[in-house]
This record gives sequence, structure tokens and C-alpha cells, in this order.
Amino acid sequence: MTAASRDLTAVLTGPPQDGSEIETLVGALERNRRTFAWKCGGLDAAAMRQTLGASTMTLGGLLKHLALVEDEYLTRQLTDAPGLSAPFDDVDFDADPDWEWRTASDDSPEELVALWEACVARSRRNLDGAYAAGPDAHSRTAWSDGHPPRVRRLVVDLVEEYARHTGHADLLRESVDGLVGEGAPLDEPTT
Amino acid sequence: MTDVEDTTPWEPPLAGTDASQILGSLDRMRWTFRWKAAGLDAAGLDTRIGASSLTLGGLLKHLATAEDYLTTVKLHGSPMPEPWAANGWDADEDWEFSSASQDSPEALYATYDAAVARARAAIETAVTEHGMDMEVAAHNDAGEHATLRRLLCDMVEEYGRHTGHADLLREAVDGRVGEDPPPGWCP
Repeated sequence: MTAASRDLTAVLTGPPQDGSEIETLVGALERNRRTFAWKCGGLDAAAMRQTLGASTMTLGGLLKHLALVEDEYLTRQLTDAPGLSAPFDDVDFDADPDWEWRTASDDSPEELVALWEACVARSRRNLDGAYAAGPDAHSRTAWSDGHPPRVRRLVVDLVEEYARHTGHADLLRESVDGLVGEGAPLDEPTT
Repeated sequence: MTDVEDTTPWEPPLAGTDASQILGSLDRMRWTFRWKAAGLDAAGLDTRIGASSLTLGGLLKHLATAEDYLTTVKLHGSPMPEPWAANGWDADEDWEFSSASQDSPEALYATYDAAVARARAAIETAVTEHGMDMEVAAHNDAGEHATLRRLLCDMVEEYGRHTGHADLLREAVDGRVGEDPPPGWCP
């Protein structure tokens, strides 16, 4: 199997069985992105704004939040970027910490999906670049202890972040139209 | 080590190895899930929201089975340990979810905590003795065996997803919200 075909298989069905650390972590991240996109796919604006139980969370808010998380982790922290990318660069998150959740209802489903996809595309390029230095590479931005974490900390955190929010998306989507399932069908188009 | 680190033992390492990073993440999810499920009565553990049949009690029992399944069947190809010998899976694939409402809160917490203790020990032994490239018993349809790394990565996903379910269920029960347990929390 060539490297390219192996990568495609990883995106479709999950991480490789016997992969290296990088192949396994990236495969896990890609499977999570794929499942999350499936849970948020094909919905109108009303469905994107629907809440459940006592929570104010929505599928639209999750898309905008995970777009921000992608940009914060795999662009701002991982690279030499001067700050967050548009549209997040103009936001005062100290004054409005829930901005992305609050404003998602102002955006169309197409805008929300496009924003998330653009952030994911940037993340993929940046992560490829960072991992060129090997699995022990460090990110470029120091955390509160004064040191930049290793890239693996960012990627494992992201897998956790995606899985948790996909759990939220599971219950929200089931309440919208009854769609349930652990992973996207294999014929679902990939991002 | 600072006081904050002393009181948040679930925080993963900043510059960990292949193994310690994934194990750190898995343990943070275990702590967080346990906090989301903690201190409830039978009604709280049996609360449902929206169209889903999931409950916090069902999640406790499901993740207890997932811990034991991981460290026996998937890791070594050995049978599930007690307390799973007598079970209802032949008649109901979702038996652990559907039967949880018949168990007391004390039994559900004890079953989960015991399974986690067994799994922590079994995984530590496997990582120490064989490393993350260990070929485990679990395999795909093509007969390719998974590595221990792949198994643990899948478990982080499994926990993350179910902790997301627990977030929304717990908020509906009594309004408890938050990303991690408060510093100093223990079951």
C-alpha cells in the first residue's frame, strides 16, 4: 500500500491498526473531524439553532466553536501566526468570552460549515509542517509555565475536544431529526 | 510542583512521551466523567433528555464494560472478568445500558470504580512491559492486529464522546456544568 492510499484509508475508516505515533494521532483526529461534520451536515438554520434540555449549546455554536479551537491550537499556538485568523482576530474574547457560541445564530449553515472547513484546511497544512520535525516537535507558543508544549499535547487535546463536542452533537442531532450512529457511513463525502 | 498541580491530578503532561500523553488524556477523561456522574440518586442517574435513551447510570455501566473489555478481550484475547460472567448480552446487545436502571447508585459507582482500577493496572503493565507498539489481540477484518497505541487512542475518543453525553445529561439533572472537575475534587 502506498503512503497516499494509506492516508486516504485512515481518513475514511479511522487510524491505521499498526501506525506510528503521528499516523495514529492524525488518523484519530481526522476520524473525529469526519464524524463531527456528519453530525452537523445537511441542516437548515432552525436545526442549527435548536437547543436541548437545560443547555444553551447548538450545532451551529459547536461548528463555530470548533473552528475557533482549530485556529487557536493549530494556527495561533502551533505556528508563528501573529494572532487568531479572521473573523476571530477582531473579537475581544475577554469582554465577550462566549462570542462564537452567541453569534453562531447570525450565520447561515453554509457560512458556519465554510468557516469550519477553512480552519480545518489551515490546521492540516500547519500540522504537516510541524510534524516534519518528528513526533517530539514543540509548538511555537509558550503556555502558562513559560514553555511551549509538544505538538502531541495539542493533537491529543484536540482529539479529546472533538470527541467531547461530538458527544454533544450526538444528542443535539438525534433531537433534531433522529439521526444516530457512531461514525459516518463510508460513502459520506469527506471534508 | 505548584499547589494547582497537586490539586488537579488529572492534568496531562505538557511535554509527555507517546505513552504518557495518551494515558494522561485518558485519565483526565476518567476523572471528568466520574465527576459528571457523581453524587446522584437513582432518579438522577436515570434521567433522559430529548429523543435519546442514554442515562448517566447507563453510561457508568457501559464505560465499566468498555474498561474491562479493553484490558481483557481486546488487549490479550482473554475472557471478560467478573462481574460480567452473568450478563444479558445474548438477548440484548445494549444490555448494560438498558439494565442500569435496575442497579442501585452504589452498585453502579462501585462497578465503574472497580473496572477503572483494574484497567489502570492492566494498561500500566502492558505499557511498561511491551510499549506502545505492542501488537494486541484485537484485529480488523483483514486480520491486521492493532497496536496498544491505537487501542488507547480509541479509548480517549470513546471517553470524550460519552463525557459529552454526560455533560448534557448532568446539566439537565441539577445544572452542574464545567470542563474539568474543580481543583481538589475526588469521588
